[in-house]
Amino acid sequence: MYLELAKRNLQRTKVRSILAVVGIVIGVMAIASIGIFGESLKTSVLENFKEIANEVIITPAYSNGYSKIDESDINKLEKMVYAESVIPIKSDRLIVEYKKKRSYTTIYGMDEEDVDKLFDADDGSIKLKGSCVVGYRLAEDKDLRVGYKIKIGNDKFRISGILKKEGRRFDINPDFVIFVSPKDFEKISDEGCSMVIVKVNELENVEAFKNAVEKSINGRKEKVNIFELQLITERIDEAFSQINTFLMAIAAISLLVAGVSILNIMLMSTIERTKEIGVMRAIGAYRQTILKIFLLEALILGVIGSTIGGVLSILGGYAIDMIMLHNAKYLFMPSTAFYIAEGFFVGVVTAVLSGIYPAWKASKLEPIEALRYE
Amino acid sequence: MIQLIDVKKIYKTEFYEVYALNGITMEIKKGEFVAIMGPSGSGKSTLLNMIGCLDKPTSGEVIINGVETSKLNDKQLTELRRDAIGFIFQQYNLIPTLTALENVELPMIFKGMSKQERERRAKELLKLVGIEEVANRRPLELSGGQQQRVAIARALANNPPILLCDEPTGNLDTKSGEAVMQIIKELNEKEGVTVVLVTHDPSLSEYAERTVRIRDGVVDVP
Repeated sequence: MYLELAKRNLQRTKVRSILAVVGIVIGVMAIASIGIFGESLKTSVLENFKEIANEVIITPAYSNGYSKIDESDINKLEKMVYAESVIPIKSDRLIVEYKKKRSYTTIYGMDEEDVDKLFDADDGSIKLKGSCVVGYRLAEDKDLRVGYKIKIGNDKFRISGILKKEGRRFDINPDFVIFVSPKDFEKISDEGCSMVIVKVNELENVEAFKNAVEKSINGRKEKVNIFELQLITERIDEAFSQINTFLMAIAAISLLVAGVSILNIMLMSTIERTKEIGVMRAIGAYRQTILKIFLLEALILGVIGSTIGGVLSILGGYAIDMIMLHNAKYLFMPSTAFYIAEGFFVGVVTAVLSGIYPAWKASKLEPIEALRYE
Repeated sequence: MIQLIDVKKIYKTEFYEVYALNGITMEIKKGEFVAIMGPSGSGKSTLLNMIGCLDKPTSGEVIINGVETSKLNDKQLTELRRDAIGFIFQQYNLIPTLTALENVELPMIFKGMSKQERERRAKELLKLVGIEEVANRRPLELSGGQQQRVAIARALANNPPILLCDEPTGNLDTKSGEAVMQIIKELNEKEGVTVVLVTHDPSLSEYAERTVRIRDGVVDVP
């Protein structure tokens, strides 16, 4: 019956109640849609890193005086059960002569099939027997084409292929680099293996692989540093979560405004209904009963507003996803339900909190003062 | 039944004090019909509010059914009003969002009565005051006389031994007023309800067994 009474009181000032509900709807929608979008954005960004998440990069422990990774250690890595593929990379910066112009360039010594596995050719093909492959940006800078010849040290190499533009990777960046076979590399440089990229068979085995490396190679002395690219995805996840929380906090301001408007309209009804409160107190309503009726009104506003807001936030999330990410495939994730639930909860709590003061004020009215009020 | 002992009510403002009641001692017996008369501003309504436990005296004691009301807390006073006292106001004071029937049910809801029981009793009471046909109308759809009858039915909801009426016919035409007074009179005679009636209309005092005159906050002894 109190619920019925609260409902009718809200219906009495229909426009006002609707406006209060609209406020809550907007607030809940803002919070939930932004939460949904943030999660979609994070998932779509992480999707790009999925391929490299199980990669581990091993470099010499320079701080301990190691400048290369020994062949024996590379053999150990290759024998490990978790290692799906092991790609040793030799590198050096050498003077390269391009059509009479000379400049320092990074040279990678890698197996042909490894280069082929990691990158794609933009022009020509990836062949390293006596020839070389050139990164996209370097080719652009030096105006190099397939078939050209360049001189590295005292040896001449024919360019067999130019790689596709790669942009940023976290393991190696091929754009400004020349790739030669390890055999050719030995002819032009004394440098050893400066990096090994290991692809671990399963993402959950990365930690076990790391421990195995620590034991077998770094057992006596730290010879190599191990960097899991997984760490990067963890950082990204963390950073996006923080940004998301921040954005949701900003969205929460709109809910705060909605809360203030509920506070406002309920204070108005407290004043308008002063006499009614007095009558109810006179005929036997406890203070708590008055409190209950007013809180119920706030609760109803909150539940209606939050429900509508929650439903609409699916549309809102869809709209932002479409605008920002041009697809909505991440919309139907469990996290979406979580953000809607969170928006709903925060909306209802805001409404009830806003109702507490007016309800308390109404319940504190002295019956006789309230009855005299005109 | 109702006892007032040297009841004073002083309203203090920054500049002056107003003695609304200045030491009233009186007794109203069970089943009595007492009219309290006096010019406006004499303190008669304040006196009724004291009896109805809506207001607290500055000093003195109001005893209802042997209970010293000054010793009761807000919750107990609320329960006393709910169970022992029925109010009838000049302005009817019905809750506009509720139907006539629901208005009558309200004090029973406050008491925690079951839906079935209170509906049955509310219908019975509306029948008693002769307006069962408008049970589902809201106050704004009722005439003044009908509204006051709903108010009487509401006042009787929890079967209180005391009925306090503050100018119950003040807003009614003569005919409706007479009908309302007839109902109140019958309640007093047939049900033994104690009635305290505040009015400045001498014709109403004819319904009462006894009339107490108040002037300037004291009982005016002729």
